[in-house]
Amino acid sequence: MDIISQLQEQVNLIAHLAFNTIGTLQRDAPPNRLSPNYPEPPAHPTEDAANFAEQPKIMSAALVKAAKQFDALVAALPISEGGEEAQLKRITELQAENDMIGQELQKQLEAAERELNQVQELYRQASDNCLNLKKPE
Amino acid sequence: MATATYPPPPPYYRLYKDYSQDPKSAPEPPPPIEGTYVCFGATYTTDDTLPCLEEQGVRQLYPKGPDVDYKKELRSLNGDLQLHILELADVLIERPSQYARRVEEISLVFKNLHHLLNSLRPHQARATLIHILELQIQRRKQAVEDIKRRREEARRLLDEALKTTDGN
Repeated sequence: MDIISQLQEQVNLIAHLAFNTIGTLQRDAPPNRLSPNYPEPPAHPTEDAANFAEQPKIMSAALVKAAKQFDALVAALPISEGGEEAQLKRITELQAENDMIGQELQKQLEAAERELNQVQELYRQASDNCLNLKKPE
Repeated sequence: MATATYPPPPPYYRLYKDYSQDPKSAPEPPPPIEGTYVCFGATYTTDDTLPCLEEQGVRQLYPKGPDVDYKKELRSLNGDLQLHILELADVLIERPSQYARRVEEISLVFKNLHHLLNSLRPHQARATLIHILELQIQRRKQAVEDIKRRREEARRLLDEALKTTDGN
């Protein structure tokens, strides 16, 4: 895939990871104590506690990794020199060179075609002579 | 159940009755359309450019101007994005009812990122064209060299053949 598409995919991946992270944390976070007046909320000891401490770490590590990969891709962008005019100038130069080489190629082809015809004519005459020499017997 | 038949072909064919004898007696084909046109009730345009962000009602976060330093802007937008995600996490802890504005800011950064990447596409197209032209020039040079070599070889063989036949 070309690099711009890869960059676009990476942006979408970062979006995906970000909203997954926030959404999962919001859904699975254990209840928090709001104010000293109210008693401590009942804790859920069973499922979450063990994995739950790990999840933010894993998810944020994935998010940061994706962001670093985006930076690496940006560094790999092959954007050279400046702008549109330089590219257009290069395109016209290349077109002129292409035309010149095309004409050269055409000339060589025509010369080669002529020589081919000459050689074929020579072969025809040589084979005619051979055949004519064999006739008398 | 009533089924509709296809509409008949347009009646212009009668105008071309004598086309084989006199090509000028029939009308010219219509000229190519320029600008916008309507097709099956929808408007389309022949001018395909990427609309700038303001036209889509999105604030532009990177500086405008003819030459944008794409790498720098992409990196700074990436950093902004990470900061906004952290801010969203913070807001959810402290004041959870104010998430909407943070989410809007995050989507603004994403829209800017995608617009910047899309504006790189014309540059990519021109670079591809340059690459194709260079390849073509290289192939043509190679072909010219090949033909020259073969002609030399053929001439050499002919000369040798002449020498051997003249020797007899």
